[in-house]
Amino acid sequence: MTQPASDSPSSRRPRERHPAVLLFCVLFVIVAVAIPAYGSAYAVQLATDVVQAIILAYSWNLLAGYTGYLSFGHVAFFGIGAYATTLLVLHTPVPWYVSVFAGGGVAVIVAVSVGPVMLRLRGILFALGMLGLARIMETLFTDWQFPGGAAGTVINGELTPIAVYVLMVLTGIAAFAVNLFIVKSGFGLDAMSVREDEDAALALGVPTNKVKTIVFATSALFPAIAGGLMAWNRSYIDPPSAFDPTMDLLTIVFVLFGGVGTLWGPLIGASTLMIVAEVLLVRLPAIKLALYGLIVIGVVLLLPGGIVSLINRLGGRLARKPVLVPAAFPSGFDPRVSKPTDHAGAKAAVLEVRDLSVRFGGHVAVDNVSFQVGEGEILCIIGANGAGKTTLFNAITGAVPISQGHISLFGKDITDVPLYGRVHMGIARTFQIPRLLADLSVWENVLVAARHGRQAARAVEHTAWVLHILGLEPLKLEHAATLSPGRQRELELARVLAVQPDVVLLDEVMAGMTRNEQETVRKVIRQFPELGVHAVICVEHVIAAVADLSDRMLVLDFGHKIAHDVPDKVLNDPAVVRAYLGDVA
Amino acid sequence: MSAMTAIQVLVNGLLLGGTYVLIAQSLNLIFGVMKVVNLAHGGFVVIAGLFTFWAVNRLGIEPLAALPIVFVGGAVLGGVLEPLIIEPLMGKGRQSELLSLIVTFGLNYVLTQIALFSFGTDYVSVPFLQMTFNVGGVIVSAALLLTAVFAGITTLLLYFGLKYTFIGKSLLAASQSTIGAQSCGIDVGRVRAVAFALGVALAAVAGALLIMVQPMSASSSDNLTILAFVVIALGGLGSYRGATVAAFLLGVVQAAVGYLLGGNVESVLPFVLLIAIMVLWPRGIQRST
Repeated sequence: MTQPASDSPSSRRPRERHPAVLLFCVLFVIVAVAIPAYGSAYAVQLATDVVQAIILAYSWNLLAGYTGYLSFGHVAFFGIGAYATTLLVLHTPVPWYVSVFAGGGVAVIVAVSVGPVMLRLRGILFALGMLGLARIMETLFTDWQFPGGAAGTVINGELTPIAVYVLMVLTGIAAFAVNLFIVKSGFGLDAMSVREDEDAALALGVPTNKVKTIVFATSALFPAIAGGLMAWNRSYIDPPSAFDPTMDLLTIVFVLFGGVGTLWGPLIGASTLMIVAEVLLVRLPAIKLALYGLIVIGVVLLLPGGIVSLINRLGGRLARKPVLVPAAFPSGFDPRVSKPTDHAGAKAAVLEVRDLSVRFGGHVAVDNVSFQVGEGEILCIIGANGAGKTTLFNAITGAVPISQGHISLFGKDITDVPLYGRVHMGIARTFQIPRLLADLSVWENVLVAARHGRQAARAVEHTAWVLHILGLEPLKLEHAATLSPGRQRELELARVLAVQPDVVLLDEVMAGMTRNEQETVRKVIRQFPELGVHAVICVEHVIAAVADLSDRMLVLDFGHKIAHDVPDKVLNDPAVVRAYLGDVA
Repeated sequence: MSAMTAIQVLVNGLLLGGTYVLIAQSLNLIFGVMKVVNLAHGGFVVIAGLFTFWAVNRLGIEPLAALPIVFVGGAVLGGVLEPLIIEPLMGKGRQSELLSLIVTFGLNYVLTQIALFSFGTDYVSVPFLQMTFNVGGVIVSAALLLTAVFAGITTLLLYFGLKYTFIGKSLLAASQSTIGAQSCGIDVGRVRAVAFALGVALAAVAGALLIMVQPMSASSSDNLTILAFVVIALGGLGSYRGATVAAFLLGVVQAAVGYLLGGNVESVLPFVLLIAIMVLWPRGIQRST
């Protein structure tokens, strides 16, 4: 089955070091060291401000760029860090370095506590909610007299400007490193799957709430440390400067300009625009914000990917590469060998449905249906429109509550197990419309499903195996959105296989497909039993598409089971013919 | 709070709510038709308000005469801006929502800076109808009453205009289904431009009315946008009747909170309500979207 596609399963891509990256690192170190060594006080201050902008940009990018949660109030964390640090310095004997990092810690605690509330909001609601949060914070600190109220408070500058600068640079490097981790790791893939389609990600086993909260807390940490350092640097803070909403504007401008959701965009955007602003806008302070506003509008309309996408279009190589792709696909790996076979030997059917009824008010959608699906069987449920196919399907997955009857998996009653619990027990499903993670690669779409419940190395091998088996390997680097509808369907099946289910439920997978596409999908489904799937249940409207595919067919008519047999017998059953063609007098 | 004070606070709140109706309905119109939360909304309101202040003081025109001027000015501005910066972002699903949010976020800064540059940073107000009625011990400000009545009439006109005129019906059709409206022969792009122009024009009228009853500065724009969004979120996004009720409700709540807890809490109340409403009644928000 498996072909020798590579040398060894554990072979990894040799670590390539691009000369440009090396050159950049050297330049960075030289500039970073030269500024405090030879620069004037003004140069050090400007450099500190630039690095602070880079930190804010990378933090914002972490949340907005990868998980897709746009924050219009990230300055809340900057202000919290500034105030927490100041209060610790003024009222406790802790040393300066503790106060700065404790400020970051306070912001993380705030983020983790408001996260579960704020992150329930999606899209525009989250953006507006964060805007509100920042204003609430500002009002709280204006009203709270202890840290100085509206008048603010003075903090003695114990740290030299150069020390602040060095700490800012170190924080900036850390913020960059976290972004680097995101674009290179499986965790980052989880975050990006949230951005692409949060519900689909959840259905694939991504713990979306956990992922969002971790990213949110991390993106709160760095601005808070920068805020603490800013407080030291300025020796004075008050609510308007700690919670300045224009800081959010600037951060968003920088990231959009450089390229949102990219590794280099925040650095490019923040450093160029900060320096340009310093050089060009000294004489135009009155219209500076208006210009930034215009840049936001211009970039969204004319250059949606920012400078990074421009560089890529001109032949640059700053595009994100799919995560964890092995240089060569491993051979000889077969998950069926390692799959636990605790069900083997059990005499019970894979899935059994007994006396199942589903009623919606007075309407009986499924009436007292019983059937069994045996080991290795492909069962297709067919019937005319309104026959109850989809309701039966939903009852098995747990999406629709049943009125009476029992469902059991490998002899274990699962009637009372909720939907997500059934997923964990090995029941996987497809959707009528494929919900792929459009902007991620084919490889990543499968990997994100394979990752959960597996060690990282195993997940990579498993993904490679699934893609290889389904013949999707040559397309592994393509974006899911660019595939043809038939290929997208295959990719969805690949994702189902990647979670290694016991039972697969397919919801009209062949609807609206060309003959050729149907043939490809049929081939994949026929392989399912030998790929470790114990049973397949499909719901289909078009009989011709599934007649030669199924081991047995179950025909529903107005909620009743009117036939359940091998395809030949079912198709010649007078009752079935009548149900489909009406009474031929 | 004695009964009399309570009634006074209630009346104040209702009158305050009357001024919110128009700001919220114009935002609602834009959101309903285009699914765009116009973050520059407050910017349009303050520019029109400060322009009215300037026109009354420098040109010596009657405050009420400024209303048609800012209406036309707002319509032209909205009609020009929509095809330029919003229309190119439409038709991209969830992306459209976020992109238009970012663009209007940027636009808000442009408008606020223009207002700061042209009219300065001071809080100003147009003195108008500074008399009060005493209705059985409850004091009613004539200016507030007039603005509430004006806002009410405009909202009614908007409501009937949407229901009974051809362009109004096109707007409603476009807000329900872009493709459906297009296949009925409606130029949805133009309809969106009309909706945005009308929304900005009404926001401008709201600004001109608002400055006659309360002081305003260029930096008030964010608060006004959030206030309007809270109202339409509370009323169920896109629902005109819901937003009207919500505007009066918010006015009363704000007046009561201001009386009991002071001005600072009153000013932050919209933000607290914003988060609370979005978290506690997400279904209320999505009911009509």
